[in-house]
This record gives sequence, C-alpha cells and structure tokens, in this order.
Amino acid sequence: MLEGLVSPENLSLSSMDMNVLERLKWLQQQQQQVVSRTSDNSPELLQILQFHGSNNDELLQSTFSHFQMLGSGFGPNPNMGFGPSHEAMDGCISRTSSFQMDPVDTMGVMLKNSEENRTISSKNKRKSEVKRREEEKTEKTIKVEAETESNMKGKSSMSNTEASSDTSKETSKGASEIHKLDYIHVRSRRGQATDRHSLAERARREKISKKMKYLQDIVPGCKKVTGQAGMLDEIINYVQSLQTQIEFLSMKLAFLNPELELSVEDLYVKQLQDYFTNLPVVIASKPSIMVDVPLFPLDQQGSLDLSVINLSQTTSTEAPSASWETQSRSLYNTSSLGFHY
Amino acid sequence: MERQIINKKKRVFSVEPNKIPPSEVFTRKYTSLLVPALKKLNMNKNSSQVNQLTVKHEVDMALALSAQEFAWSRFLLQKLSSSNNPTTTTSSSSNGIRIQERSGKEGGHEDGEREEKLRELQKLLPGGEEMNVEEMLGEIGNYIKCLELQTIALKSIVQDTT
Repeated sequence: MLEGLVSPENLSLSSMDMNVLERLKWLQQQQQQVVSRTSDNSPELLQILQFHGSNNDELLQSTFSHFQMLGSGFGPNPNMGFGPSHEAMDGCISRTSSFQMDPVDTMGVMLKNSEENRTISSKNKRKSEVKRREEEKTEKTIKVEAETESNMKGKSSMSNTEASSDTSKETSKGASEIHKLDYIHVRSRRGQATDRHSLAERARREKISKKMKYLQDIVPGCKKVTGQAGMLDEIINYVQSLQTQIEFLSMKLAFLNPELELSVEDLYVKQLQDYFTNLPVVIASKPSIMVDVPLFPLDQQGSLDLSVINLSQTTSTEAPSASWETQSRSLYNTSSLGFHY
Repeated sequence: MERQIINKKKRVFSVEPNKIPPSEVFTRKYTSLLVPALKKLNMNKNSSQVNQLTVKHEVDMALALSAQEFAWSRFLLQKLSSSNNPTTTTSSSSNGIRIQERSGKEGGHEDGEREEKLRELQKLLPGGEEMNVEEMLGEIGNYIKCLELQTIALKSIVQDTT
C-alpha cells in the first residue's frame, strides 16, 4: 500500500536544479500523501507519522506500543519516499539510505526525518553555509539516533515503554542542544511544533534574547535583575542617565566656553598616553595619525618611533587627570567586547 | 555648514586599523571634531552669545560624525541638519522621565509591558522608531558605548578648562 510513494514524481524531482523551497513543498506533499493514504488503513501508522510534529505525550507512548508491530511494514518505504530529496541534499541523507530496516531503526529514521524537516525549513531562510551546517548536524543526528536506539534496545518489553519514552525524550533533549552557527541554525526540541511560522518565531526570539544578553553585559547592574522587563527598565534608565549626564556636561562646557584655552595637542598627548599605558605590549604598534595636526616627528612611512614615544611621555607637562585615565581604562577593558555589529 | 566642512576635513588614518580598539578611534574622532568646533564657536560669536543650545548642537554633531558606521548616527545627523533649532534627542530626556511603576499590570500582560518598554527604548535611540526590534537592540548597544565614551571625552574637555 505504501509502494505508491515511489511514483514517477519522485524520480523527476531528483534534479539538482530544484531549489530548497520546492523541495520542502515536495516533501510536505509526500508526507501528506502518506498520511492520506494510510489514514483509513492504519490509524496507528498515522499517529506515528504525526508523532514527530506533535506535542502529545500519550501519543508518544501509544505509538511506542504499536511501534514494533508496524515497524517492519513501514520500514522500507519512508526511505524510498524521501530518497530523491536525499540525493539532492548532502551528507546526512546518505545515512538514511544505508540504515538497516529493523523496527528499532525505523524510529531513528523517523527522528532523522523529523529533524531534517525542521532543518529544511530553517534552511529556507538562509542560503549560506549549507554544507558546514549539515556536516555538524550529521554528528548530532547520529548521536541522537544512537542514543534513542540504545534506549530502545535496552528496553525490550512493552511494560517499559513509559520509562523508555521518558528517558529517550530526555536524552534527545539533551543531545539536540541548540547548536548555533553564527546566527543561523535553529534546532527544535522533541515534541515542539515544526511548522515554518513557529520556527521563524523561535529563531527571532533567540536572536532577541542573544542581544539582550549582550546588553546585560554592557549595562552595569543589569545582571542582578531577572526577567526581560526588569532588564529593559535598567537599560532605559541607564541610557537616560547617560544622556542627562552629557547634557549637563555640555551645559558646563557652554558656560566655560569663553575660557577654552586648551590645545588639541595636549588632549592628543593624553589620549596617546592612555593608549600606550593601557596596552604596554602593543607599544611598537603604530597608532592612528591625525593628518592635519603634526604631532610627532614622523619618519617616511608615517610611523612613530620608539624614541618618540619616550619623548612624549616626558614632555607632557600637565598631570593626566586621574578620572580620565581610570575611566577610560575601565572602558577599554570592557570594550574588548567590541562593537557588536 | 562651514563648520561641517571643517569637521569633515579631519580624517583619521589608521595605519593598522585592526590593532586599535574602536573606542580609541571614537574618542579621537570625537575630541578632534568637538574642540575645533568649539573654538570656532568662540571666535565667530561674541562670548556672551554662546548659548547652550549651539553647544549642544555641536556636541551632538560631533557624536554623529564620529560614529558614522552605525545606523543611529545617520538618523541623528538627519535630525541635526534638518532642524534649525536643534531639537535633539537628548532634549526629550531632560524632563527626567523615569519608568512609571505599573501597579496594575504586574501579573497579567507581561508581554504588553515588555512591548511598552521596548517602545520607550526606541524613543531614546535616534531613529529607533524606524527600526525593528532586533535591529534596535543591536544599535542600542553601540549607542550606549558611544555615549559612555562621549561622556569621558566631555569630562576631560571640561576638566581641562577649569
């Protein structure tokens, strides 16, 4: 009954020109076909197929109980049904085709297929780094399968189905930790919805939480507060306080402006001093150069000599203001986080 | 406009750009922009006429020009150049608006509260209202860093004159 999966349609779609979207649609079509064809024949099979998209625990247990009966009949077919799409994709697919069709393995195949579906839909959003992701993914999927298989093999009797479902769920949850490559990969845990909208939602939420974590590092005093609302509060207060501080300083500057006698060169000297004292290792490196303001004697390449550096430290007459140095030093230390692009 | 041209002439050429922390580059740019501008202000107008708004304008302009790789700086520049009377972003914060305690909404609508706060944050960032949430959160990080560096630069300038 399931041989109908191997239709001419499958073979025609094996061309590499098919892009990912079409592949996904095809895949979903196939799934739906399987579901529709088998709905009247075997409700248990339907449940198994819908299993990977469902959140239902009871379903899980019932499918486990029916599993071994239907495994052998169901076995060869998902392989062939998803075959052509697998050829078009890389690495991990080949593993599916090489699996022995034991009832035990079918579960692994199911898991793999469900994982692939999720990754397919996540691939739709990003077109880059496909191969690298898949290679790393294959390790993870193999791990998942190995663990679930070993779990299933360990529990032979039906009476252990509940326990096995729990442990396998836990192991799969532990194994399928969300592995983030740059900002791309979203891996959903077992029992979570796999449709594209919720995946997109989840990816978006993870991006946002990652950015919130970065902000937490920047804003002082943010780590003590838990929850996003509190953190946002802190951030807002911090930004406002910074802005009022700036305004106050500019007011002060406006007040003092007539007496503005400072020379730009002195400021630069101070800044250079800070730069060199902060990074003593980098003392031979060449700092940035202000073109319009000739500060130090430059040699032909426009670089600073070490001798000049010593000169600058001895010739600065005014004592560097402590607050500037300590503050800028602390900032330089924290700015190793860099500007987050 | 003349001021802007003068400001733009100051360029920073990093010989080895990778080794210089961006904070260093920013503070340099900032001071190099601001101090000559202030001097020019001094020279142009009579000393009695240097009011706070123009200084504020210069301060914001220096900030925007020294952080041109960020999106919010472009918005800030737009705002500054378009408006004659400098209605800058910080003027809204001069009221000292603090987050009001929402007594009634503690238990329920937590998402709504979060949305409110995000919107509040968007108002603080120049151009924040035109970005989406993700982008805004990223830009806020940069903005905070630049504000911190700006305060340090301003403090040093003020301290030098006293």
